[in-house]
Amino acid sequence: MRELYTSELEELEALLRDEGKLVDRAIRGALNVLERDDLELADELIAFDDEIDSRYLAIEQRIPSLLARQTPVAGELRLVLAILYINLHLERIADYCVTVAKLAKLAHGLPRDRAVLEALEEMGERCREMLGTGLEYFYARDFTDSQALIEMDRPIDRANRKLIDRLIALGPDESQREWAMRMMLASRCLERIGDHAVDIGEQAAYLVRGRFEEFTDASHKPPRATT
Amino acid sequence: MEAIKTKIEVTEKERLPVVSEREAVFEARDLAVYYGDQRAIDGVNLDIYQRLITAIIGPSGCGKSTFLRTLNRMNDLVPAARLTGQLRYRGIDLYGPGVDAVEVRRRVGMVFQKPNPFHSSIYDNVAYGLRILGMKKDLDERVEKALRAAALWDEVKDRLKDSALGLSGGQQQRLCIARAIAVEPEVVLFDEPASALDPISTSAIEDLMHELKRDYTLVIVTHNMQQAARVADMTAFFGLDVSPDGNRQGVLVEYDETEKIFTNPSDKRTEGYVTGRFG
Repeated sequence: MRELYTSELEELEALLRDEGKLVDRAIRGALNVLERDDLELADELIAFDDEIDSRYLAIEQRIPSLLARQTPVAGELRLVLAILYINLHLERIADYCVTVAKLAKLAHGLPRDRAVLEALEEMGERCREMLGTGLEYFYARDFTDSQALIEMDRPIDRANRKLIDRLIALGPDESQREWAMRMMLASRCLERIGDHAVDIGEQAAYLVRGRFEEFTDASHKPPRATT
Repeated sequence: MEAIKTKIEVTEKERLPVVSEREAVFEARDLAVYYGDQRAIDGVNLDIYQRLITAIIGPSGCGKSTFLRTLNRMNDLVPAARLTGQLRYRGIDLYGPGVDAVEVRRRVGMVFQKPNPFHSSIYDNVAYGLRILGMKKDLDERVEKALRAAALWDEVKDRLKDSALGLSGGQQQRLCIARAIAVEPEVVLFDEPASALDPISTSAIEDLMHELKRDYTLVIVTHNMQQAARVADMTAFFGLDVSPDGNRQGVLVEYDETEKIFTNPSDKRTEGYVTGRFG
C-alpha cells in the first residue's frame, strides 16, 4: 500500500509540473497576443485553457480521494496541501491569460502605443520569471530566500504604475482611449499573475518550513514610489 | 469599520496551555527499565502534564507499554524487572523507599487492551475496588457516578445485577474504565484500549477519553496513529535504538504537541514513522 501511496504522490506532483509548464506557455502566449495583435493566436490561447483545466481538475479530483484513503501526515500532508493550493494558483494564472487574450481581441485594430506595449511585455516577462522561481522553490524543496520573489514583484508594480501614467497621457482620441482602457485591464491581470506567483512561493516555504507565513501582507504593502 | 471588524473576528482555536503553565504529574529523568540483563528502555526524560491526554506511539518492541507500566508500578509484578534513573509522581520518587505500590495503583488506574471484567455483576465490578479500599460509604452513589462518567449508566442502569460478561466488548471496556475511575484516581493509563473494539465502540472510547480529560490525566499507548492524532494533546514517539553492545532498547525520540508531531515533526525518525515511511 505504501508503494501505491508514494506513486500517487509522485503522479500528483508530475501533473502539477505539467500544469506549471502549460501555464508558462499561456503567459508567453498572452504576451505574444498583445505584441502582435493576433486574433488567431488569441483564439488559440483561449482554447488552450482547456488543456490547463484538465490538469487542474485531475489534481483537484485526486486529492480528496488521497486524503480519505491514505490520511497523509507530516511532510506528506504539507506536500498534498501545497499541491492543492498551487494547483489553484496556476489555474487562476491561466484564467488571467485568457482574460488578456479576450482584451486583446476587443482592442483589435485600435491605435496602439509602443511604450505601453513594451511596459506590458516587461511585466509579463517578470511574471514568467517569478512563476518559474516560485515553482522551482517547490520542486527543489529548497527554500532559501523569501525576499527574492518580493524583489521580483516590485518592478511589476512599478511598471504597472508607469504604464497607467502613460495611458492617461495618451490624449483625447476616443479609439485610443478605448485601447488604453483595455490595456489597463491587461496590465492589472499581469500584476495579479505576479501576486499568484508569490503565493506559490509561500506554499513552497510552507512545505519546507512546516509553518505558513505570508511573504507580504497585501493589505499592508509599503507605500509605492509614485514615479 | 468597527462593525466589519467585530463580524469577521476569528475565534482563537483551542490552545494547549503554554509549557510554563503546564503542571507536571510525572517527571521521568534518565529512566531505564531492565528485564534481567535486557534493557527495554533507556534514557527517557519526559514530563506528563495534568489533565492532558498524552499518547505514546512507536513500533513494536520500542518499550511504550514498559514505560506506561512504570507509571503505576505494574512492572513490579514482573520478577526480573528493575529500574534506574528516576520517576517522580507529584514530586515524590515513585520507586523510593516507603512508597506503597497499592496506593500508587489507586492513584494511577489502568485500562488494558482486552476488556477484562470480573466474573460478577456490573455493579460488583465497579464496587470491587471501592470495597477493597474501604470506600464503602455511599457505595451506590459512587458506582452510579463512575458508570455515568464512563458513559455507560444509561445502558446498564436497569440491569446492574446482571453479569458483566453479558455486555458487548465496547460496553465491557467502558465498564473497565468505570471500575478504574470509581476509586477516584488522578491518572488513568490506557494500554491499547480500543484495539480489540469495532470502530463505533472505538469512537465511544475516544469521546469518553475527551470527556475524562476534564478531571483526569490520561496516558494512552496506541498502535493506531490516527487514534493518537485524534485524542492526544501531547504525543511521545518512542523508537528502537541498537547500542554498541547489541542491546535493542526503546528510546524517546521526540515529544511534542500532537499537532506538531503530525504536521511538522522535528526528527526524521518521527516523520518516517508517522508517515509509514521509516526513515
